[in-house]
Amino acid sequence: MSRRSPHLLLLCRSLLCGVAFCLLGLASHQARAQEGLLELRQARAVITVQGAAPVQEDVVLPYHWDRHHKGYPGDAVFELPFSLAVIEKEPYGVYFQRIGNTAEIWLNDSLLARFGDTGQPNTGDYAKAPQYISLPTRLLGTQNVLRIRIHADGGRRGGLSTLVIGPESQARALYVTAFNWRVAASMGVMIFSLLVGGIAMALWVTQSDPVQGNRREPVYLFAGLAEIFWALRVGDVAIEQPLLAWPAWGVVVTVAFAGWFCCIALFCHHVAGWHKHASMPWVRGGLAALFASSLVASTLSFSLREPAYLTAWLGLANVLFIIYAVVYLWGAIRRPGTEWLMVAIAGSLNVLMGVRDWVAIRISGSYVDNTWIRYSSVLFGLVLGYIVIRRFRAVSVQATDLMANLSSRIAQKEQELGQTYQKVEQLAREQERVSERTRILRDMHDGVGAHLSAAIRQLQSGKASSEDVLQTLRYTLDQLKLSIDAMHLLPGDISSLLANLRYRLEPRFAASDIELQWVVGSLEPVARMDDNAMRQLQFMVFEALSNVLQHSHATTLAIEAEMAGTGMVLRVVDNGRGFDAALPPRKGLLSMRERATAIGVTVLITSQPGRTVVEIRIP
Amino acid sequence: MPTWRVLIVEDDVPTRDFFADSVSRCEGLTLVAGVGTFEEARQLIADGAQAIDILLTDLALPDGNGLDLIRLAGRLRPACESLVISMFGDEDSVLSSVEAGALGYIQKDFTPDNIAHTILEMKAGASPISPMIARRVLAKYRARHLIDQMSVSPTVAGSDEVPAAETGRALLSTREQEVLELIARGFSYAEISKLKGVSVHTVQSHIKNLYTKLAVHSKSEAVYEATRLGLLQPPTSVTTR
Repeated sequence: MSRRSPHLLLLCRSLLCGVAFCLLGLASHQARAQEGLLELRQARAVITVQGAAPVQEDVVLPYHWDRHHKGYPGDAVFELPFSLAVIEKEPYGVYFQRIGNTAEIWLNDSLLARFGDTGQPNTGDYAKAPQYISLPTRLLGTQNVLRIRIHADGGRRGGLSTLVIGPESQARALYVTAFNWRVAASMGVMIFSLLVGGIAMALWVTQSDPVQGNRREPVYLFAGLAEIFWALRVGDVAIEQPLLAWPAWGVVVTVAFAGWFCCIALFCHHVAGWHKHASMPWVRGGLAALFASSLVASTLSFSLREPAYLTAWLGLANVLFIIYAVVYLWGAIRRPGTEWLMVAIAGSLNVLMGVRDWVAIRISGSYVDNTWIRYSSVLFGLVLGYIVIRRFRAVSVQATDLMANLSSRIAQKEQELGQTYQKVEQLAREQERVSERTRILRDMHDGVGAHLSAAIRQLQSGKASSEDVLQTLRYTLDQLKLSIDAMHLLPGDISSLLANLRYRLEPRFAASDIELQWVVGSLEPVARMDDNAMRQLQFMVFEALSNVLQHSHATTLAIEAEMAGTGMVLRVVDNGRGFDAALPPRKGLLSMRERATAIGVTVLITSQPGRTVVEIRIP
Repeated sequence: MPTWRVLIVEDDVPTRDFFADSVSRCEGLTLVAGVGTFEEARQLIADGAQAIDILLTDLALPDGNGLDLIRLAGRLRPACESLVISMFGDEDSVLSSVEAGALGYIQKDFTPDNIAHTILEMKAGASPISPMIARRVLAKYRARHLIDQMSVSPTVAGSDEVPAAETGRALLSTREQEVLELIARGFSYAEISKLKGVSVHTVQSHIKNLYTKLAVHSKSEAVYEATRLGLLQPPTSVTTR
């Protein structure tokens, strides 16, 4: 209960305000007993209903044509004699609460004013607004007659209200007050409605929810449509010459009214969230039917000259909306929500006004009374403004949260990315280590390992001389030193590669009494030889030189190198005993060929006694 | 014929004995001592009564670094020449030895004759240099030269033809540079002397000069670095030259 009480309180306060507003309105209407003003309530009239003979009778004002003639059109001439005891210097004026639909006013047989053309039925309507005309002092005597000719269209609230004659300052003041209430305020409401309607429609067009498939907000649509209907309905008071002839225009205005309350009902439904309810298609259908029935009811009422149809239809709408308002209010109180509750209060006040208007105008038949709902309708616009502001505020708060959330997530992702990058880098380093280890193992296997195992076999066989074993071990160490040197070789620097091989093997050549011929030109770096290719090439040349040292019994050895286009040609040439190059190659030569294939160079071996050439071509 | 007095510092006993044996058996050489630790060697070097002409040292000693022994000998006994015992004669260890002041290196797999021969050669003015080291020295020199060129005259950029001596800070003479380039390309001393029309001895002296310059240069480089880092204050603004 404690949660409900603030809403109940708000509701009670709002309803009290509404009641106070009504009482004030009544009070202002009855506070018209002023000195110096003459109110004319009686007239002699000649009434001519369409299609009947003129009838002369005395009538009491206000004369509500539709009440007397049930929607038939016709003309009437009212004669209103009045006498003035003293004629003031100040001009006189006469104020009509209503007169029309079209009218001519004569004073002492002089035409004072025309409101529209009384000879043209179904055109202008001057009965919607209060009217005022001046009575020139020179035309006034102590005994005067006002002759007023009106034409009333059926069902258009034609007729004549009581007249108030008096000095201009007083009579006009009454007129201005009435005008302000009825016309100026209506204009204000219309402008407000157009403004709110325009904004709501603009919101509906521009604001879509990307989360829900770009769904537009129906609250804005229905509020916007309602306000536009309402602008037409309320603005009608200032339209003396409508676009359409009567009664078509009457139908338009009635339909606009129906459009307003149907759209308002949908607006209320959406604010309450009831549009998600299973009954929504029925509600929509029902409202569409109500809207359509406004057309039927008004058309029938005007064409069959039977105002009761329209009255009944309005009554039905009133009943439906009373029920709806009660249910809606009940829902709003049960489930607190500021938007819903405000809409419920606005709706209830409007329903109250609607009932009051229906009773005052359609049932009791008051001729001069004005509708009140035009004022209370403003509440919907205000509630909509509140809703819009609230939603935008919520959205901006949400956006701020989202931004904060997003930036924290970006920071997190960045951190994750950094960690991933580190992992990748670590993996790459690991990979590099593994491949380096593989390479070293392979070098050890083919080089040092092979030579050491050869030395062991030599020792085990017992056949090899210690000189042979020593030689094998020396090659092992040579191989090892070359491997270390290879780490410092720059990619493509074959000149250094060859120079280093010569330097390392120089003692061997000296020991074998082989004369070395160095025929190496100025060599450019070869771009395609990377670190691995350089190691393989070093191994291949070493293998060729080892073969000469170990097996050839040569006395001279030439190391030749020259550029050949962008590539290079290396030759190891000896004058030893040679071998049969056609036989299956020994392990060393085999290994040389494998390596050549692996790095994309070609090896060509030609051998005959006295000249063996190992040629390596780097393309 | 003079006899050179040799101190051997090597922690591996068989290797030490092998080297000691090689030295003892050579006529021109006398063994001062064969020691296994840095400390023993330091004491011998510091002992003024002891004459040492040649220091033959391993780099990795159990209680210190051979490079420090070389530096110590260079400071206390300018006449003493140092050789490094190297397993592989690889670029990094040789270069650091040379920069510490060594005049050459002996590989562990040398024959006894080779060892004695290398020592005597060095004393006679010949130091061995491998093509790889020659290449590295050249590369270092060229980089430095280029920087000097740029700082001295930015308009004459990249002109290697300018005689090196003109820069005033040159590490190498033109002739030394040519010799180095030929060594880097694999030519022997004999072939170089033939190509350049000079004696083998001249070629050898170029190399030895180069070694000395490298050592001196590395010292001046250290001073330069120290100055740059603010560890030393130059007395005037032009003394760093």
